[in-house]
Amino acid sequence: MTVEEEVKQIVSRIVHVEESTITREGTFKEMKADSLDIVQALVAVEEKYDIEIPDEEAQKFTNFGDFVDFVVAETAKKG
Amino acid sequence: MVNPLQGKVALITGSGRGIGKATALRLASDGCDIVVNFFRRRDAAEQTAEEIRALGVRAEVVKANVGDPAKIEEMFQFVGEKFGYLDIFISNAASGVGRPVFDIDAKAWDWTMNINARALLLGAQQARPLMTGRGGKIVSISSLGSQFVWPTYTAVGVSKAALEALTRYLSIEMIPDGVSVNAVSASAVNTEALQFYIKEGYVKDMNATTPVGRMVTPEDVAEAVAFLCSEQAYMIRGQTIIVDGGTSVSLYPPVIEKGEA
Repeated sequence: MTVEEEVKQIVSRIVHVEESTITREGTFKEMKADSLDIVQALVAVEEKYDIEIPDEEAQKFTNFGDFVDFVVAETAKKG
Repeated sequence: MVNPLQGKVALITGSGRGIGKATALRLASDGCDIVVNFFRRRDAAEQTAEEIRALGVRAEVVKANVGDPAKIEEMFQFVGEKFGYLDIFISNAASGVGRPVFDIDAKAWDWTMNINARALLLGAQQARPLMTGRGGKIVSISSLGSQFVWPTYTAVGVSKAALEALTRYLSIEMIPDGVSVNAVSASAVNTEALQFYIKEGYVKDMNATTPVGRMVTPEDVAEAVAFLCSEQAYMIRGQTIIVDGGTSVSLYPPVIEKGEA
């Protein structure tokens, strides 16, 4: 499974949306995720990959694709 | 004058910003080494640590979600590894879901209760072996929402009521460990967290409705915390000290003549 698929799975579970409806261009707002959903999704992804996604970085994400790209970059850094 | 807290170590949860940061700096100014804890904002925590070090004491930064028991354990392990003991534990980190009663689901309730109330229980349990025999102090940070009703504040208010009750129980059960436990409760404090309520229109000009004529600042709260951490407060146990400029004892604050701002 790719990082994108894994992150999609986590977001789907926390926000309660079908995985198939999550696209790279989609946003948390479109998924009707509230601030608690978003924090819990970020924390779940942090724990899955043992990375850090500080709020100051997360605020820069414009869509799900940005989120995934950040996670991919951080996991790559860890090797 | 000798710094009263020289050689002591304090862990302050949620100390990157707001009341936690002001408390960290206040205790550091008395010579205390500080462990800064954060959850979501590393930049703010690192900035706080820099400001603490500039006061000539040691500062360490540890990330932990205090809503997660495993992370609390890791945070205290970090303190043990870095310092080997702990003198002061300030349970300050708070979060919450601002919703009317009928919109609060189990997830929002658990999130709020775990971070705001359970974290003191688990934190005190972890702090105990590091504090025993050192005359330790634990202070929890509450809010007037534990006693009074604010719009959408239900989950947080209830969690703060639990926090205050737990503070009373801990204060008695930790006497054999030589640890004092108290709480400081504040009305609306001028922090980033308050900005949410202002933005949502739930809080207006608190300067006008606070009897002393200005809002409570993080530094006002930090002063009360510092006093409870001093030996002068030895006989104060299990209390919730209210820092609110007179708000909670005043039914009609706007008609009261203001003190100096």
